Amino acid sequence: MGDGSSSSSSSSRPAWLQQYDLVGKIGEGTYGLVFLAKSKLPSNKGKCIAIKKFKHSKDGDGVSPTAIREIMLLREISHENVVKLVNVHINHVDMSLYLAFDYAEHDLYEIIRHHREKVNHSMNLYTIKSLLWQLLNGLNYLHSNWIIHRDLKPSNILVMGEGDEQGVVKIADFGLARIYQAPLKPLSENGVVVTIWYRAPELLLGGKHYTSAVDMWAVGCIFAELLTLKPLFQGAEVKAQANPFQLDQLDKIFKVLGHPTPEKWPTLVNLPHWLQDQQHIQQRKYDNPGLFSVVHLPPKSPAYDLLSKMLEYDPRKRITAAQALEHEYFRMEPLPGRNALVPSPLVEKAVNYPARPVDTTTDFEGTTSVQPSQQATGNTVSGSVASMVPARPVPRSMPLVGMQRMPAGGMAAFNLASQAGMGNLNPAAIPMQRGSQAHQQQLRRKDPGGMGMNTGYPQQKSRRF
Amino acid sequence: MNLQVMQLLKPKADTFDVSTSDDEGPQGDLKYLPCPPLNSEACNCEREMAANFWTSSHFKQLLEPEEVDVVPSLDKEKGLTLEEFKMIKIHMTNYISRLGQQCKVRQRVVATAITYFRRVYTRKSMTEYDPLLVAPTCLYLASKAEESTVQARHVIFYIKKIHKKFVYDLKDILEMEMKLLEALNYYLVVYHPYRALSQLLQDVGMADLTFLCWSLINDSYKMDLILIYPPYMIALACIYIASVLKEKDTTAWFEELHVDMNVVKNISMEILDFYDAYRQPIPDERINAALSKLSSKP
Repeated sequence: MGDGSSSSSSSSRPAWLQQYDLVGKIGEGTYGLVFLAKSKLPSNKGKCIAIKKFKHSKDGDGVSPTAIREIMLLREISHENVVKLVNVHINHVDMSLYLAFDYAEHDLYEIIRHHREKVNHSMNLYTIKSLLWQLLNGLNYLHSNWIIHRDLKPSNILVMGEGDEQGVVKIADFGLARIYQAPLKPLSENGVVVTIWYRAPELLLGGKHYTSAVDMWAVGCIFAELLTLKPLFQGAEVKAQANPFQLDQLDKIFKVLGHPTPEKWPTLVNLPHWLQDQQHIQQRKYDNPGLFSVVHLPPKSPAYDLLSKMLEYDPRKRITAAQALEHEYFRMEPLPGRNALVPSPLVEKAVNYPARPVDTTTDFEGTTSVQPSQQATGNTVSGSVASMVPARPVPRSMPLVGMQRMPAGGMAAFNLASQAGMGNLNPAAIPMQRGSQAHQQQLRRKDPGGMGMNTGYPQQKSRRF
Repeated sequence: MNLQVMQLLKPKADTFDVSTSDDEGPQGDLKYLPCPPLNSEACNCEREMAANFWTSSHFKQLLEPEEVDVVPSLDKEKGLTLEEFKMIKIHMTNYISRLGQQCKVRQRVVATAITYFRRVYTRKSMTEYDPLLVAPTCLYLASKAEESTVQARHVIFYIKKIHKKFVYDLKDILEMEMKLLEALNYYLVVYHPYRALSQLLQDVGMADLTFLCWSLINDSYKMDLILIYPPYMIALACIYIASVLKEKDTTAWFEELHVDMNVVKNISMEILDFYDAYRQPIPDERINAALSKLSSKP
C-alpha cells in the first residue's frame, strides 16, 4: 500500500501517476473528485481503477478527517461485497491524497435508470434477488464489524462489469460510515445535501441514535426501487441550515405505510419531532393503500414479507441483515447467485447495462481540458466506455464523503450492545495464543448463527455456480 | 494465588507505590489522568471499530520483542545505543501525554498517538524522522483518527507552552502527517487495553482497582508492549499486578479465563522491571545527549 518513492519525485507530478492511464472523471463531491484510470503496471495491466482524490484542506488542517476515517475503515475491512481499496497515494507537492479502488462498471442508480428509461421492462427477478442478497451479505459483514454505512442509496451500490467478478455487488462510499459514536456535530457542517429518500423514519423524526437499523431501512427502500424502478418515498427535501424537519418525506412514508402509532412503535413518543409536533403530524390521518399495492406484490408473498420487515417503523423490530439473509425469499426459486447480471449464461441473455458515465475531459488535477479530443490515451473500458451514454455535462454529484453528520448521542443500546466490540470478549473464552487457532476460535465464538463474515450463498449447490 | 508467583512478585511489588508518584517519574501520569467513571460518555466513545481484534490490522501487525528492540541502522551509525533509543521513546511518550493534556484530548487519543509513534520507529530512523516533530504530529493524526480533531495550529500553540524552543511550524506538521500515514502503511485503527479493563474488572468483581489498573495501563505505554501483545493481555497483566499489590486472590478467576498465564506474568514482570529501572526521572542531560547524537554528522 502506498509508494514510498512518491516523496522523492522532484517534478510536480508524483512518480506513482506513471502507473496509471487516466480515462476520465466519474464523480465529484465536496471531498474532491473520482477518476477512472487504467493500471499500467505489468502485474495489473489494463485493470480499471477508480481513483478518489481528496482535496488538500485550505484551512491549514492537513488531511481531511473524512479521508482519514475512510482510509482507516477501508484498511480494516475485506469482503467480497464491499469495495476494495487497492492503494493509497500521496502527492506531497500539493498535499493531496488519492484512494485507488477496484473499478466497478455499474451502479444500481444506472441499472435502475436503464430499466426505467431504456428497457421499459421490470428487472429480472433473479437479478433483483441476487443484488439484494449480496447487498445484505456485505451489510451483514459491516454491521457485525460495528460499521454503520449511513448513506446507502442506489448510486453507492456498485456492480462489477465484465470479468471474474461480473455481477458482484460492492458497497461503496464510506465517507459517512461510522465506527463508533462521533462527537456531536451539526448536520449542516459540510453543507452538502444527502438525499433524504432512503432516510429512516426515526432519523426523520429527529432521533439521534444511529443504529444498524437505519441501513436496513435504506435497503428496504432500495429493494422496492428495484421492483418498481421508482424511488419508493420520493419526498421533496426541505433545505435549511441545520437538520430541518422533513415533513414531505415523512408524509410520503406515512401515505404508503400508514400512520405510526405508539402502540406499534413504543419509542416513537420519545422522538423530538414527534414530541414537539409542530406541524401536527400526530393528528394526520392517512388512508392506507398498503405497501403491496405500491410495489405490486401479493401480500402473502415472501418478497412482500421481507420488504415489509425491512420497512418496519420500530427500529428495534426492523429485520437485521443477518435475519434477512435467512429469509424464505432467498430460499425459493430463483435462488440468488454471484453474478447478479447474468441469470443463466446458457439460457437467458443478460441485459446490456451501460457503464457509469465518465467525463473524459478532466485530468487528475481536476482541470477540464478545452478539447475533448485530448482525452486520455484513447482507452476504452471493457469495451463499453466508448459506447456508453454520453457523460452528463455535470457529473452526478456523488456526495461520497462527509457531507453530513447526524447529531449523535449515545448509540442506542438495544441493537448494538450484543455486537459491541469487546462485549464479545467473554473472559471465560479468551483465546490464549496469537495465530490462526486463536483466530478461528474467535470466529467461531462470534459466529454462532453461521452469520459471520462470508456466509456463502444460500444452498451452495445452486446451479448458478 | 500461586505462592511462587507471589514470591516472585513480592519484592518488586513492595518497591512500587502508586501514591508517591512525582511529575517526571514513571508514575507521573497518575496526577494528570484520573480514571473516568466507567459509565461516562467517554467510555461509550471507546467502542472499537472492528468487533474482531483477531481480524484487525493491529493484530496482524503485532511484533516479537526482538523485532521491536532494534535501533534503526541510520541511528546506530550515529552511535545511538538501544538504551538511548528506548530512553528517547520514553521521553517522547511523556511528552505526548503532556501535550495531550494541554490539548484536552481523551486518554484514548494519547494512547493511539503513542502507539503510532512507537510503530513509526520500528520502520523509520530517528535521524530521518525527528522525534520532536513526529511526536506532536502523531497526536495530531490520532486526534483525527479518534474523532476528536485538534487543529494543527492549536497543537503548535500548546507545544510552545511546553517546549519553547520548538523549531518546526505548521507546514512541517502537515507534511509530517502525510509522511506518517505512509510510514504507518495507512493502518490507523488501534485497540487499547482500557476497554477490556472495565469489562474484565467487572467480571472479576474488583471495580475498586479501576484507578490503579488504569494508571498501570497508562504507564505501560512507556514500553513497547502495545506493539507486542494483544491489548486484553496487557489489561490482564495490569489486573494481575494490582491484585497482587492489593493482596486479592484472583487465582481461580485467572484459571477460568484459560489464558496463557506465562504471557500474563511476563508482561507483569516487564512492567515491574520498568518501574524498577526508571524509578528516578531520566536526567535531561542524558536525553539531550542522546538526541544530539542524532543530529550529529555520522
